[in-house]
Amino acid sequence: MDGISYALTAVTTPSVLLAAAGGVLWGILGGALPGLSPSIAMALLLPFTFDMTPLAAIVMLTGIYIGAEYGGSIPAILIRTPGTNAAAATVIDGYAMHQQGRGGEALGLSLVAGTIAGLVGLICLVLLTAPLSALALYFTPPAYFALAIMGLSVIAALSEGSLVKGLIMGIIGLMISTIGTDPLSGVTRFTFGGAELLGGIEYIFVMLGVFAVAELMSKMAEGDDEEGITKSVARVKLPGVKKLWALRGALGIGTGVGIIEGPIPGAGGTVAAFLSYNEAKRWSKTPEQFGHGAEEGVVAPEAANNAVTSSALIPTLTFGIPGSNSMAVLLGGLLIHGIQPGPMLLSTRPDLVYGLFGGLFLSNMFMLIFGLLLLGPAVWLVNRPKPYLTASIFMIVLSGVYSINQSLFDFWVVLLSGVLGYGMKLLKFPVLPLILGVVLGYMIEANYRRSLLLTNGEHRVFFENPLSLGLLLCAGLIIGLAVVSEIRRLRHGRRATQE
Amino acid sequence: MRNVTLVVSAALFALAVGYWISADSISESRLAGAVGADGFPKVLGVALGVLSLILAGQTLFESYIVPARDKAPVQEEAQDASSAWRGHLRAFGLIAIGIAYVLLLPYLGYMVAGGLMLGAVATYAGLRPSLATLLFAVCGGLCFYLIFVKLLQIPLPAGFWPGLVN
Repeated sequence: MDGISYALTAVTTPSVLLAAAGGVLWGILGGALPGLSPSIAMALLLPFTFDMTPLAAIVMLTGIYIGAEYGGSIPAILIRTPGTNAAAATVIDGYAMHQQGRGGEALGLSLVAGTIAGLVGLICLVLLTAPLSALALYFTPPAYFALAIMGLSVIAALSEGSLVKGLIMGIIGLMISTIGTDPLSGVTRFTFGGAELLGGIEYIFVMLGVFAVAELMSKMAEGDDEEGITKSVARVKLPGVKKLWALRGALGIGTGVGIIEGPIPGAGGTVAAFLSYNEAKRWSKTPEQFGHGAEEGVVAPEAANNAVTSSALIPTLTFGIPGSNSMAVLLGGLLIHGIQPGPMLLSTRPDLVYGLFGGLFLSNMFMLIFGLLLLGPAVWLVNRPKPYLTASIFMIVLSGVYSINQSLFDFWVVLLSGVLGYGMKLLKFPVLPLILGVVLGYMIEANYRRSLLLTNGEHRVFFENPLSLGLLLCAGLIIGLAVVSEIRRLRHGRRATQE
Repeated sequence: MRNVTLVVSAALFALAVGYWISADSISESRLAGAVGADGFPKVLGVALGVLSLILAGQTLFESYIVPARDKAPVQEEAQDASSAWRGHLRAFGLIAIGIAYVLLLPYLGYMVAGGLMLGAVATYAGLRPSLATLLFAVCGGLCFYLIFVKLLQIPLPAGFWPGLVN
């Protein structure tokens, strides 16, 4: 009962209300700007929290995180540019819906699914803080390796009809991830003597290139011929209860995957979004619609990355272990205000923990309100004349690139990735496996080698660890199903040709 | 398309070989553990090599089972190819503008280089050079400057302008 009282006090405190509203608004805007990740959006406002009460400061930072995860889906749907890494999976069907003149519907689905998942995630955070934290402790290097392999196995399902091409792009993504300093020995690899490559290639640059720049190049190649692209103005359309009930499977999958992935350090919203997309496709009655504007393809990843915003707080608050960059910034915010996160936090500062839960509820509500208010202008903006839009998007992308490291070198990476993405599109090579490879490469290699370091090179460890074994079996199942589907596709194609 | 895929397969195979050779030259470290810094890249090199061969094989197999009569008339094919190449050139023009922007940015500063880029891309994308285009470039450059430099406090290059003032 004390907890409810703390939460109610928090939601009725003007400073907390203002902090939640300001945080969410800034988060949506920051998330919508490609290159400005949730962590950067949080870090930019961190200095402004110095004069706030600890609770208001933490609520504002988490509000930014929640807002940014939703904000990332706006450019993903409207301009095929994920504003955040976690919105990359939303691009596939969200943008396809927009091309069919259903952009407003996709935005509405993303907003409502995100809000519902965020609230469900919050309930789980309140109820399951202690048990889920215990699960995070079982994640040793072999389990992390297996988790990343499971994430990578999604490639098999995302290969858009050509498993070999998908695997090739996945391998190229993994190759890109090996550029830079070796995670274990510190030896430099594939840097060609350049200092700029020592830190490796950040995947946000690859994403901006293969998604945004490649799309702009395609638009340029199309010229004035806009055949196939709707000219009607998209209107914001929120899904009704009936529609949501029809999409309950994808919503449940996204929310569930997000809640489970959130507390696992390193997994985060990106892996959760891709995994939930794959699962939603696998369990869908109409999997063939995925990639061509399936509503489930928007609902599942958006629910997953918003559910993560609540569940990711579990290890940060209870162990002081930040599982992502955003959580690291939040941890910094807690420490600035003299709060030491850890197992004792709930007993020493229940007002803060339960107050934060109240603040999270507020932030989710504000996300719905601001999301609705900002959707109209966003849709209007995207319906402006093509030359203005193309120039502005290119400018946003290039400005966002510089904001990350303040390095001119990053521009070359983005432009080169754009050329690569354009080439892939022409040759019908799927883009998403490349992104997954770049995102998961470090996690796979570092944990594989760490595991072998602990066991003197014994590979048995991956099968002796129950969590690792379970995850590897899941990965095997996903790959097996995709291979069967590929064989069926080839046979069907052959039969059709013979007929 | 099949010929192109075969060329791409060959290029990927060459990439795999080059990558493997580069991986083989990675220096060894005592800190590396059971699998050295070159272990993972070498596996990737081999995997890419094998997959590129499979892609080539798959393409040849598909060309064997699909009869040649499905092909479009030669003249029509040549016309399509010519218009496609024009499209690709237009696409690479955007990259050329991007390159020019990156080269000019340190000298002209974010606001001026940005304004020039906005005007150049808008014109290249089909807008006629007019007062409206000029206004778009000037206001756009200023707007982006205010958002990224003033509001977000991102230290984008200022160019040589501050030197003139001092």
